[in-house]
Amino acid sequence: MDITRRDFIKSAAMQSAVASAAVLFPGISFGAWKTVGSGGIEWKKTPCRFCGTGCGLLVGVSGERAVAVKGDPNCTVNKGLCCVKGYHSVQILYGNDRITKALVRKNGKMVETPLNEALDLVASKMQETIKSHGKDAVAMYGSGQWSITDGYVSSKLFKGCIGTNNLEANARLCMASAVTGFLTSFGMDEPMGSYDDIDHADVFITWGNNMAEMHPVLFSRMLANRKAKNHVKIIDFATRTTRSSQASDKSILFKPQTDLAVANAICYEIIRNDWVNWDFVNKHVSFHKGKTNIGYGTQDHFKFKDKAETVDFEAYKAFLEDYTPEKVEKLSGVPAKDIKYLAALYGDPDQKIVSYWCMGMNQHTRGTWINNLVYNCHLLVGKISEPGNGPFSLTGQPSACGTVREVGTLTHKLPKGVVMKEGARKLAAKIWDVPVENIDPKPTYHTVEMFRALDRGDIRFMWIQVTNPMVTMPNLNRYRDGAKKDDRFIVVSEIYPTPTSDVADVILPAALWIEREGFFGNSERRTQHNEQIIPMPGDCMSNTWQIIEVARRMGFEKQFPWSEETYIEDCWNEYTQFHDNPKHRMAPYNDLKAKSGIVWPYVNGIETKWRYNAKYDPAAEGDSFDFYGKPDRRAWIWLRPYEPPAESPDSEYPFWLNTGRILEHWHTGSMTRRVPVLHRAVPEAYVEINPDDANHLGITNGSKVKVSSRRGSVTMKASINGRGRPPRGMVFVPFFDESYLINEATLDAFCPISKQPDYKKCAVKLERV
Amino acid sequence: MEKSDQKVGKVFLIFAGISILALPLIVFSAFSSEPKGTETSVAESQDMDFDDSGKSIFINYDQVSKEYLEGTSTARTLDEYYSLRQYPGSPPLIPHKVEEPDLARVECLTCHARGGWTEELKKNTPVTPHPEQEACRQCHITATEANLFVETNWMSVAPPRLGRTALPGAPLPIPHDIQMRGNCFACHVGPGTVATIRVEHPSRGNCRQCHVPVTNAPQWQRKPKS
Repeated sequence: MDITRRDFIKSAAMQSAVASAAVLFPGISFGAWKTVGSGGIEWKKTPCRFCGTGCGLLVGVSGERAVAVKGDPNCTVNKGLCCVKGYHSVQILYGNDRITKALVRKNGKMVETPLNEALDLVASKMQETIKSHGKDAVAMYGSGQWSITDGYVSSKLFKGCIGTNNLEANARLCMASAVTGFLTSFGMDEPMGSYDDIDHADVFITWGNNMAEMHPVLFSRMLANRKAKNHVKIIDFATRTTRSSQASDKSILFKPQTDLAVANAICYEIIRNDWVNWDFVNKHVSFHKGKTNIGYGTQDHFKFKDKAETVDFEAYKAFLEDYTPEKVEKLSGVPAKDIKYLAALYGDPDQKIVSYWCMGMNQHTRGTWINNLVYNCHLLVGKISEPGNGPFSLTGQPSACGTVREVGTLTHKLPKGVVMKEGARKLAAKIWDVPVENIDPKPTYHTVEMFRALDRGDIRFMWIQVTNPMVTMPNLNRYRDGAKKDDRFIVVSEIYPTPTSDVADVILPAALWIEREGFFGNSERRTQHNEQIIPMPGDCMSNTWQIIEVARRMGFEKQFPWSEETYIEDCWNEYTQFHDNPKHRMAPYNDLKAKSGIVWPYVNGIETKWRYNAKYDPAAEGDSFDFYGKPDRRAWIWLRPYEPPAESPDSEYPFWLNTGRILEHWHTGSMTRRVPVLHRAVPEAYVEINPDDANHLGITNGSKVKVSSRRGSVTMKASINGRGRPPRGMVFVPFFDESYLINEATLDAFCPISKQPDYKKCAVKLERV
Repeated sequence: MEKSDQKVGKVFLIFAGISILALPLIVFSAFSSEPKGTETSVAESQDMDFDDSGKSIFINYDQVSKEYLEGTSTARTLDEYYSLRQYPGSPPLIPHKVEEPDLARVECLTCHARGGWTEELKKNTPVTPHPEQEACRQCHITATEANLFVETNWMSVAPPRLGRTALPGAPLPIPHDIQMRGNCFACHVGPGTVATIRVEHPSRGNCRQCHVPVTNAPQWQRKPKS
């Protein structure tokens, strides 16, 4: 009898499958829990703490403890289902090393300190630094996991009161290219459609996006739509084979960075076959080109400003001549017939189509461009802003949209508009009750440059909240060394010890998620309120209140007059004055309290599920589409060429390094690693290697491999045919594990327009250890 | 020519015969067509998605064989059941190895949709109460490590006590949430289920005629008339 290799592997796997958990871990019960109270469970609604999907959860509370989770059936995002992180999310509250007291560095050691004393120190240190080094020597680095009010008060304090634009958030590392993509193509940020598109579309194309692990609840909604309708297709367009590839109808792999060329080739095919929706294009689209050869930002003080030039359709058509499917096949490795297939899906007027993407397109040295190019695919065929048709940029963090993009906690932004515009400064000054001269019209540093400034000494004081940059900054060695320099003062508001709190001079104990009242804003423009469900432990305090306490100590009592009982509601009522127009109106506090999230623009009690379409959007004029974000009231098609990545594999460093997340862990794992089931499922990071490459290098599954780039190296276990499978010539490393800091190897090159770094492409070599 | 005429005649005779035989039927259906049509359209338009998808209980009941209903394995215990969970109702761990790709989909539902004996694990397979959810590993994961990253102070409520009838001999209430777990047959009927929560009378089918959910609602009191 012939036994093929595959059969052999199968039968071996079957034998090993006999081992059950009880045999693998004798004597351990994975679910043994201490019991609390005998009373029943009360269920309270909240958005999930983790990703940008924004699932509605019902948290079961017994006494003062959160004890269980179920999906909120009234929340249209998840319709009652969660993912494994969501179901176990409440366990993030109960790690034994929870920070509940303020800690201050005294003679090199972190010492427990009364909270008031620590807050005094933060305020006085900030004032001292401003006095000796100027206002631009102090900075705040926040997060897309900030509650909306956290971001709002930090903007008011830094931009309005102190008068520095040194305010950034980790969403720069995650969503900046999506923002600049929206602004350049549509003139307004955030998606036009909503998750309702999932129930209406016939075809889903995911661009560099492993939704099955990163947005699992939305992915399973796509699966449910496919199951209900039979004809529905999911196409996975990616650089690595994942669970999403397994579940899709077709998986197409492309070489890193060549998505730029493929998107143009799709448009070439749409035009060649005359699938263009001329009625839509003539009425609602205009054509533009920008600068080329725009660089990668790897040097300090890098500056770039794009300049748009209006062109016509003929110029666009001529530009696309370089992108025939046959030419692009050579560059991208995608067979011309697959490019034509993708074009036919976009081109078929009878198929409703949604494109999804997240970090694959955003963490890209041409992130803005690839966002523009995917919009081009939809605009040429007019498949946008209606149920089941539309490009949809997914967000990574629960409030990257709500807090960072809508409040504008980025150096150039204000809650409405940009600091460079006098009108925006005047509005902010009026609402904030500060002199308009306080608001500096010049942006300072984007995130990467802000950490460079910290290293150089231009910034001396930095306050970090709800994020872990000492794990997540690319080219990490430089930025960690910079933060540790003697005359730098780092304040970290945290819930657990992390590599970032390791470099802190003051650690402020923060209230987490349902321990305080707050708001998140998810990918589909949905604002979600949660009340305080359980008490805060020890001296913990909400990030919002920490900032208010420090602001008052600095003499800004007038701007922060609120009481501890109602400050969240008061902040909301003040903040929403910025957006009081039909293009962006936010729901009132009481409506948000009552409902499982409300999508803005919320006008006369109605959510706007599709913007720029007069049928659904009260701000749109006329009776069809109205892209009112741009002065010409048209959506912009951009001529964006293929340009190579900042660093590509060569003979010395022959592999691509791709990094990302996995289902079980959230970002740097500071929360999920304290959840027993999640840690036990994936206890440490690993490097995924293609089986043929591993074979060639003599690397076996689980053996140690040194992954090195020009900047740093990490030695970790190899994973072959594990969770994902990179193609030959690429390795993948998840970044959740602080014991294996893969960002010491990544490159701090970024998109010159969005300033978002590319974590998906740099060159490494592998060595057996 | 002649032949074909004869043929036409025969065909006509047959047609006439059928018509006579079918006449009462045609007349009957003509008179009854309206009410019948209405009946059909009402039945077709009925949406069965209510009462926590109560119809699925009957569908499952119809599909489960008599032999399966009588399964009596005692291999699975309640302790084992809870050992895979973090709180009552959390998605359980996968207690056996799962083959990560050969890039074919891992077909959890091959075994866990209908259950049955598995030769590899020498066990009766438990059945999922929500086979319509196909992205199984969105919620169910395996353990590969016994130790924790940091010890936890996690607590949850005790699992519901068994046998809490309101009156001696009365039917048991449903002590758990029905969301995601509304298919009674999945966990209470068949050889793969936990013996102590298995019912002895599954052939009755309409579970919720006797078993109703228990809630924490306070005792009802009539509001005094003002």
